[in-house]
Amino acid sequence: MPSIFPSEEWLLELKDYINQDEKYAHIARNWEGDVMFHIEPTGALIEPLCFYVDLWHGECRGVKMVPTGDLTEAAFDLTASYDNIVKVLKGQLDPMQAMLTRKLQVKGSMPYMMRNVPTVLEFVRCAQDITGQVLGEN
Amino acid sequence: MQPILTVDLTTGATGTLEIPAEWARDYLGGASLAARILYDALTPELDPFAPQAPLLFLNGPLSGTSGPTTGRFVICGKSPATGLWAESNIGGFWGVELRKTGYDGLLLTGAATDPVYLFIDAGQVQLRPAVHLWGQDTYEIQTAINAEIEGATARVLGIGIAGENRLPAALLLSDHGRVAGRTGLGAVLGSKQVKALAVRGAGAIPVADTTRYNPLRSAANRALHQDNLTASLRDLGSAGGADYFDYLGEMPKKNFTAGTLAGVDNLSGASIAETILTGVSACHACVVACGRVVQLPGEKEKRKGPEYETLMGLGANLGITDAVFVTRMGDLCDRLGMDTISVGNTLGLAFDFYARGRLTAADTGGLALEWGNAAAVETLLPQIARRQGFGAQLAEGARAFARRYGDEDAAVQVNGLEAAYHDPRGASGIALSYATSPRGACHNQSDYFIVEIGQAEEDLGLQFFGRQAGAEKSANVAIHQDWRTVFNSLVICVFGNVPPQTVVDLINAACGLEWDIPEMLRAGERGWNLKRAINNRLGLTRANDRLPRALLEPLPDGGSAGYVIPFDAMLRAYYEARGWDWATGKPGRDKLEALGLGWVAEDLWPAT
Repeated sequence: MPSIFPSEEWLLELKDYINQDEKYAHIARNWEGDVMFHIEPTGALIEPLCFYVDLWHGECRGVKMVPTGDLTEAAFDLTASYDNIVKVLKGQLDPMQAMLTRKLQVKGSMPYMMRNVPTVLEFVRCAQDITGQVLGEN
Repeated sequence: MQPILTVDLTTGATGTLEIPAEWARDYLGGASLAARILYDALTPELDPFAPQAPLLFLNGPLSGTSGPTTGRFVICGKSPATGLWAESNIGGFWGVELRKTGYDGLLLTGAATDPVYLFIDAGQVQLRPAVHLWGQDTYEIQTAINAEIEGATARVLGIGIAGENRLPAALLLSDHGRVAGRTGLGAVLGSKQVKALAVRGAGAIPVADTTRYNPLRSAANRALHQDNLTASLRDLGSAGGADYFDYLGEMPKKNFTAGTLAGVDNLSGASIAETILTGVSACHACVVACGRVVQLPGEKEKRKGPEYETLMGLGANLGITDAVFVTRMGDLCDRLGMDTISVGNTLGLAFDFYARGRLTAADTGGLALEWGNAAAVETLLPQIARRQGFGAQLAEGARAFARRYGDEDAAVQVNGLEAAYHDPRGASGIALSYATSPRGACHNQSDYFIVEIGQAEEDLGLQFFGRQAGAEKSANVAIHQDWRTVFNSLVICVFGNVPPQTVVDLINAACGLEWDIPEMLRAGERGWNLKRAINNRLGLTRANDRLPRALLEPLPDGGSAGYVIPFDAMLRAYYEARGWDWATGKPGRDKLEALGLGWVAEDLWPAT
């Protein structure tokens, strides 16, 4: 049974899924950059939430939930509301549409990001593939 | 709104044109208002180079208000490239300076007997001799004119040799390389023997309700400064999306015949940012700052860097991947006063003919027009501007060159305007943008590719379709055209990723309106249909709503390999969405009346 999003189990499942996904491994083979996700509370999420994903040359090297006060820094910071993150994970909102209509904010190297849009889209595809139930759903 | 300054260049007489309040309300300003003002003058018989041909420079209600991306104005008339509606907007500071003189626009008619430049100095208007400026480039004239006027610096908008020689690709340039590149309006100015327009003003920019407008403006600019697209444009320029466009097969190569090109990543905004970029430049009060400032190897001086269309037109479209070379050629085109989109496209056709054996070195003055031959490009650009040698054959543009070889459909153009560098096989919506734009194969009347990659604003009613979907996206394209028509009325930049409701709030505060998004879209639709009606009067029919052969064939490789655009189905669905008459290509009478264009309906559909 798929893990509920957001949870540490979901993150670990994402790591395992990425590491066995051949398409991701190929498209992201040159990607070097970890990502911090900042999820703002909306809907069923009542507290801000952060999680960290370390992506390197087509692999996911590590994941963790990030408690308040943790000083981990990442190459990229992605910020979105919980409701919009869920829409992306459920395929109801295209990730590029989220970026270009101000529903998802990105900070980090723009040259790197714009050179690697296909990698970003493959990462999202992997996250969508493992997402079943989300917080707030029965 | 402020009046429009009128200048008859034949007699030297000046005057003012007051705009009826209902026109300013219904058409907002900029290009749509220009269409209303010029409607009667743009007749089928009018030669774009005739003295009586009007040339209108017009701001919008947001121009110069320091709102987000509001440093633009538009130039309109009849195009020598297409024989149809001409419209080209431009950033920088010239339009804002004109508003500060107390005029929202400038309407030129007539023609001088000898070269002149116009100097508008806080309401005083002078025609000054410009024989000594004729032949100078578009940067030299800015320096020269400012050296001979007293007092503070004036903003100068002018033409290069291409405008003097009446090329259909002739542009107008101001400031640090901001251009009105499309539809050949530099040639119209040249035909009037006007080398430049210098403006110096000191007045205030009118806003209906500043207590309402100013806080909105500040908040909008702050939000825009933090926006993702802004970050990409500021860091990478307009070529920031080049890598992704290449991945999608949306970036043309070799005259739209190839899907891949080794080394093309050298031409991306990211590559330029990592190699030659030294700074950025911006138009009036713009927080985006998409302009590039670069320093080339071996040079001390910094110069304007290339934007996406130039990188593709003088680069990938010719099989060239050297960004330094393209930067130099873009600068050369600016100085000569030629649009890099049209010139790159026309050169691409010549290279294509050479590759197919339809041209040989015997035809080209000994030049081997092989893909990637940068030296040939550097030789040909001045030849084209001066109508010399083989360049004279290319000077009238791609359609004319293809006609010379008995194959008009080989030119990648629509109605005489060469296509921009967005391939509809990679993202199909721009097929309709090119085919139905009032000014030919233009990407700015609806830059629909940005919707295809994600800027599908739900508040406008836009849906997010697959990039190679067909007729289901036709109504979407019409909505986006209407929205961009609002932009072109205001006149604001398509790079400003401002939420639609914010744009509407700004317009309401600036103009004293209380409209909502649907009403604003209706104003856009009104402008779009008015321009269509002008073109119908000039002879345009449904047969003109077409794509050239190259875009209807599948590419052999790359991100859109094998895809064929279902163009006929898309166009039919578009007509249904627009309420246009399939038999004639005209807006239907009911549609025109619903948009408050009953007077146009009487013209297009006279009672029998």
